[in-house]
Amino acid sequence: MAGLPVLLAPRPAEAQEPGSAAEVLDAIDEQEADVARRLRALSEAVPAARAFAGSLLADQERHREERRSIRRRLGLPPGAAPPAEGSDLRSLGALRSAQEALVHAHAEGLPALGDSWAVDRLARHMVELARHLAVIDLWIEAEESRG
Amino acid sequence: MAEGGPARRRREVVVALARGAGVAAPVLGLLEGGRTAALPAGEETDMAVLQAAVALEHQAIALYDAGLGRGLFPAGLRVYAVEFRGDHLGHRDTQVAIVEERGGRAPEARRDYLFGPLGSGEQLLRQAVEIEGAAQQAYTTLISQIRSRDYLLSAAFILVDEVRHLTVWRRVLGLRIY
Repeated sequence: MAGLPVLLAPRPAEAQEPGSAAEVLDAIDEQEADVARRLRALSEAVPAARAFAGSLLADQERHREERRSIRRRLGLPPGAAPPAEGSDLRSLGALRSAQEALVHAHAEGLPALGDSWAVDRLARHMVELARHLAVIDLWIEAEESRG
Repeated sequence: MAEGGPARRRREVVVALARGAGVAAPVLGLLEGGRTAALPAGEETDMAVLQAAVALEHQAIALYDAGLGRGLFPAGLRVYAVEFRGDHLGHRDTQVAIVEERGGRAPEARRDYLFGPLGSGEQLLRQAVEIEGAAQQAYTTLISQIRSRDYLLSAAFILVDEVRHLTVWRRVLGLRIY
C-alpha cells in the first residue's frame, strides 16, 4: 500500500516522478525561460500587460538568483543556458500552459531536493508562481467575458 | 532581523486561526516561530503536519458550508465557492487517508468554529481571505518539515490550490494580487 497516498494525491494525472536535484533545477530553468519569452512578447503586443509582465519577470530574476544559491549549497554545477525556442509567443493560452508547467516543475521537484532549506526556498517560489498562474487565469476569464 | 508589524500581524492571525481549528502545540509553535524554527525530522513530524493540515481543511470547509448554506456568496462568485469547497474536501480526504494508512487517526471537524461576523457577502469574503491566507501560510511554513516524498508531493499540489483560492478572493475584494 506504499503507493496509496500518491494515487490519492490531488494533482494532475500527468505529474512526473521527480529525478535528481540537478534535473529539477535544469527543468525549472528551461520552463522559466519559456515563460519569460512569452511575457516579453505579450508585453510588446499588449501595452496594458507591461506592468504585470514586468512584475513577474522581476520575481523570476530573484528566483534565478536564489536557485544559484541552492545549486551552490547542494554542490551542483551552474545550469546551462536554456534553449531559445517557442511558438505562439503572444498567445495567452500558451502563456498559461507554460506557467502551469513551471508551477508543476516546482511541485514535482520538491521531493528530489533532499534538503529542507532548499525545499523551503523552492516552495516559496512555487507560491509566487502559482499566484501568477491564478492571475493569468483571471486575465483569461476577463478576456472571455468581454467576448 | 526583527519581523515588521504587518508580518507579525499576519503571523498572529495564522496562529489564532490554527488554534481555533484545533492545531496542536508542536505545529503551533512552528507557525509562531516562522521559518527559523524546526521540528525533529521523522515520521512523527509528518504526522503532526498532517493532523494540523486536516484541522485547517475542516475549518475551511466549515466556512464554505456556512457561506453557501446561508446564500452569502454573490451569485457570480458561487461557482468559485463551490469549486474551492470541493478542493478542500479533496485535500481533507487525501490527508485523512495518509494519516490512516500510517496507522494514525485524523482529527474530526469541530462542531463550532469562531468565525468573524458573516452578515454580508463582503464579511464572508474577508473571512475567506483570512482562512485561505492562513492555510497558504501554514502549508508554506510546514512543507519543508515533511520527510516522506509522497506526502511532500501531495502537499505541494495542495498548496498550489490554496494559492489560487486566496488570489481569487483577494482579486474580488480589490486587494493586491501581484
